[in-house]
Amino acid sequence: MTEIKEITEILDERIEEIQKQVISGKINLLDYELAPLFTELKNALNMDNLNNSSKTYKDACVLLNQKFDELKKMLSTLDSEQKFIDYLKSNPKYEEITQLFNGCWRKVFKIDSMSLSFLEFSKNKLCKERGVSITIEHLDKVFSDDEFLLEIPERNFTEKMTAFFNDIQKRLPCLFEEIFGKEQDQAKIYELFVYLLHLLQLGKIKYQKETNTLYI
Amino acid sequence: MNELSILMHLLSRKITTDKIGASEDEILDALNLKTKNKSIHFQHLIANLSQYIEKLGLQVRYNPLDEHWFISFEQDVSDVISANPFESQPKLAATLFCTLTCCFKNSGSCTIHEISELRKKKGLRDDLKVLDRKGYITIDKKKDQVHLTPLIGYELDLNALFTKLALKLKEQ
Repeated sequence: MTEIKEITEILDERIEEIQKQVISGKINLLDYELAPLFTELKNALNMDNLNNSSKTYKDACVLLNQKFDELKKMLSTLDSEQKFIDYLKSNPKYEEITQLFNGCWRKVFKIDSMSLSFLEFSKNKLCKERGVSITIEHLDKVFSDDEFLLEIPERNFTEKMTAFFNDIQKRLPCLFEEIFGKEQDQAKIYELFVYLLHLLQLGKIKYQKETNTLYI
Repeated sequence: MNELSILMHLLSRKITTDKIGASEDEILDALNLKTKNKSIHFQHLIANLSQYIEKLGLQVRYNPLDEHWFISFEQDVSDVISANPFESQPKLAATLFCTLTCCFKNSGSCTIHEISELRKKKGLRDDLKVLDRKGYITIDKKKDQVHLTPLIGYELDLNALFTKLALKLKEQ
């Protein structure tokens, strides 16, 4: 029992060593003979070490699969360029090409928001020197004969907002950008945008984010 | 902070849209590895990191187009979370495939005429413009040339793709 257990352990170590050498590029699996490994495993197999042996067998099969993959890669590089071109010139169907892509796409793993550069950026932003606080200087009162009039809007806010709503409801549904029509004046657009926000808040107009559409 | 955490940071960073991870030199520089055996040390680090993250469904990958090491989700996970950026756009995928073949034939770039020789379909230029906007290629309008960016090397296992094609053609 002890002797057999040792054999599977030795084989496990050998498989692990082969894997390390493959990863480090010291050996190429195509040049490595795997048959003796399987023969030794077969000879060591009995009822007592079935569990250990099956695990070793599984690991050995991983190596064998890798060897097959290497072989496939090698075959694919032989005289393939012209064949690829001939194949594409034969105008294959879209579905045929899509099938080739299947299983080849991979999702890249990125963690920008947790990265050191992001932390560095945040630290610099937080540790930035603040400007000297502004001191308020009181002005001296000056008397003047001129008359100053405070501008008061002609209509109150609700009236203006309702007028805007009446104006745009014929155009709805429409894209967000289209709601301001041909208005060019930035101050006016800002004013209309404030009305729009209130109308959204009141639920008179609705907005769908996915399609960037305003509707009633 | 240890070597693996620095490696994890370097390999999972996005520098620009088509530049992710880090090159061997950048990694050696960040780890201050200047010894004679730095390459072997580097291989060990990559192998160790690979073993650690394997349990999380991640893999260390290499982009041959810009020689950058990066991390991706393992193939099964990528398939489940639908990594294919051309889902329901088979026409665009076909144009990309022809562009890839043409560019690899000419060390990374080719003329639009060469692609149209392979792909005699309408709307080729429109497809190329979309690929340009998506960041897979750049179009040199003056020379009427197309250049591959490294982006496709991150998102697509080029080796697996061409192996599949080679095997398919051998079967025919």
